[in-house]
Amino acid sequence: MLLLGPINVLNDLLLKTGLSAETVNYFVWPLIQIGIVVTLVALWVAYATYLERKISAFMQARLGPMRVGPWGLLQPIADGLKLLTKEDFIPENADRWIFFFAPYIAVASAFIVFSVIPFGPDWAVIADVNIGLLLVLAVSSVGVLALILAGWSSNSKYALLGGLRSSAQMVSYEVAMGLSLIGALMFARTLSLSGIVGAQGSDSIWYIVYQPAGFLLFLISGIAENNRAPFDLPEAESELVAGFHTEYSGMRWSLFFMAEYAAMVVVSAVATTVYLGGWYFPFVYRLEASGHHNLYVIVSLLVFLVKASIILYVYFWLRWTLPRFRYDQLMDIGWKWLIPSALINIVLSGVAVFVVQALNYSGKVKTIEHLDRGLNMTAAGKGIVFGIGVIGLFATAVLLARINWRSRDFNLRVQRRNIKLVNLPKGKPAVQTES
Amino acid sequence: MALVKTPKPSFTQKLKRFFMIDLVKGLGLTLKYNLGAITDRDAVAGKGIYTEQYPKVRPEVAPRFHGAPRLNMDPETHDTLCIACNLCAIACPEDCIDVIPMDVEIIVAGKPRRKKVLDEFIFDTSRCMFCALCQEACPTACLELTQEFELATYSRAGFVWNREMLEQGRETVKYTS
Repeated sequence: MLLLGPINVLNDLLLKTGLSAETVNYFVWPLIQIGIVVTLVALWVAYATYLERKISAFMQARLGPMRVGPWGLLQPIADGLKLLTKEDFIPENADRWIFFFAPYIAVASAFIVFSVIPFGPDWAVIADVNIGLLLVLAVSSVGVLALILAGWSSNSKYALLGGLRSSAQMVSYEVAMGLSLIGALMFARTLSLSGIVGAQGSDSIWYIVYQPAGFLLFLISGIAENNRAPFDLPEAESELVAGFHTEYSGMRWSLFFMAEYAAMVVVSAVATTVYLGGWYFPFVYRLEASGHHNLYVIVSLLVFLVKASIILYVYFWLRWTLPRFRYDQLMDIGWKWLIPSALINIVLSGVAVFVVQALNYSGKVKTIEHLDRGLNMTAAGKGIVFGIGVIGLFATAVLLARINWRSRDFNLRVQRRNIKLVNLPKGKPAVQTES
Repeated sequence: MALVKTPKPSFTQKLKRFFMIDLVKGLGLTLKYNLGAITDRDAVAGKGIYTEQYPKVRPEVAPRFHGAPRLNMDPETHDTLCIACNLCAIACPEDCIDVIPMDVEIIVAGKPRRKKVLDEFIFDTSRCMFCALCQEACPTACLELTQEFELATYSRAGFVWNREMLEQGRETVKYTS
């Protein structure tokens, strides 16, 4: 009961200052929430860079940062201080205003999304917008605009190429990202992120069980949208120096860096919310029932953080395992695999929902319990949807593998196998020409 | 007419490609090293951390490693063991040793005699190749190449060691813990 105290006391204090209840509820509390979320997310982002360095080091049998503070724990702060004091260099003939504002667009688009992410129930969400998921998709894609603007305004060939690649990448991945979420929405029957979590909670299941294909598609296109390895073409170090942020230095560069990690956190938070049950955890409602309301919120918050961190770890893990895709391979995956399979996934989810409803209303098998919070199904209904999901995943893969056999045209090995020598007299080897 | 004939993939190879076994293998390898770095810190099982925390933890050099030179002293009298015989300077293939002797008057059996003793010893470590031929040549086991390996200095002049440096050793910051 101690945990209940401070927040209610603060609420009473705010009411006593003469503010109306509405002002307190719709203005003061959101401001406090925004302050806490921005601070904590900035901290999370800073320590995501630390974890990235540590995990990459561990995967390469190194130690990573060790000298600043115990276990190098103060390294992000030292890096931040260093970047703040560095020179802010602007290249000659750069488009100054766009060059100035591109980093802010990147950071803003990444941070605005946190306003609708349900970190927990009740007071742990800033705004429970009923089109939350749409807002997430809309705002997070603006982040790519920042990369394009930065690449364009830098007046540098490497930055321009990075921006170009980024725009091509966005075209091929944004569609798949949006489409992959629709399957889950059919079961949640709402676009509100809190509503999606609530639907999973009352159905006591994670939507990754219903939507394995959707989860994989969302994760892949999310990684591609964040420009992370193996899809880090816009900032490919080995090809484009540093890609779109070649000309950036000091604090502006670090804003891009922060935006990248914040966007990663956003994608892992959305993936957690939609597919991994958000803050929902078995038995978490018992805390609420036993009257420990604030404890329930805090435990839910921690559950959410753990789930999102696991997806962040997958990000790092993939980055330090896989090499970068070639440009044509990236387009290949986007257009020939992800978008068709996202469409097939939507059809299959529709079929699954239809089968469940048809069985229920024909009166033979009871599959639907109620429709109050999302589609709540009985064990039979869950089994049917799970089966269709898993079989659909492999069926989609087989089907696309059959359809896309020609996509190996881009494979150099096969190309080499099919090269015909033209107008060469038989029996004579090819002669190397002097160049 | 194909230039290069690559074999068509077999059914098992196709299956492997379909289930992305290679991707899973790669992920498993990095995960193995990551877990190894956490559980098996000192690479006992061969998958822990190989990095040395250098200034804090100093490496153990090989037993026959040759490093910084040193002029040994008599442990009782604290006089130098060097007799200024110049053998080390003759043995040195790089000509980096200069032995500068001086004569002192001593009384041997009531008669004044002159004795050659060491005045100054110049050792140019920038030219030394640490072959330890001087150490072999020394008749009194005075000149010795120790296992100290921190020889870097801020200037070229710092590489030239005089007698005092050779006897006392150069001062380096030692980090502990």
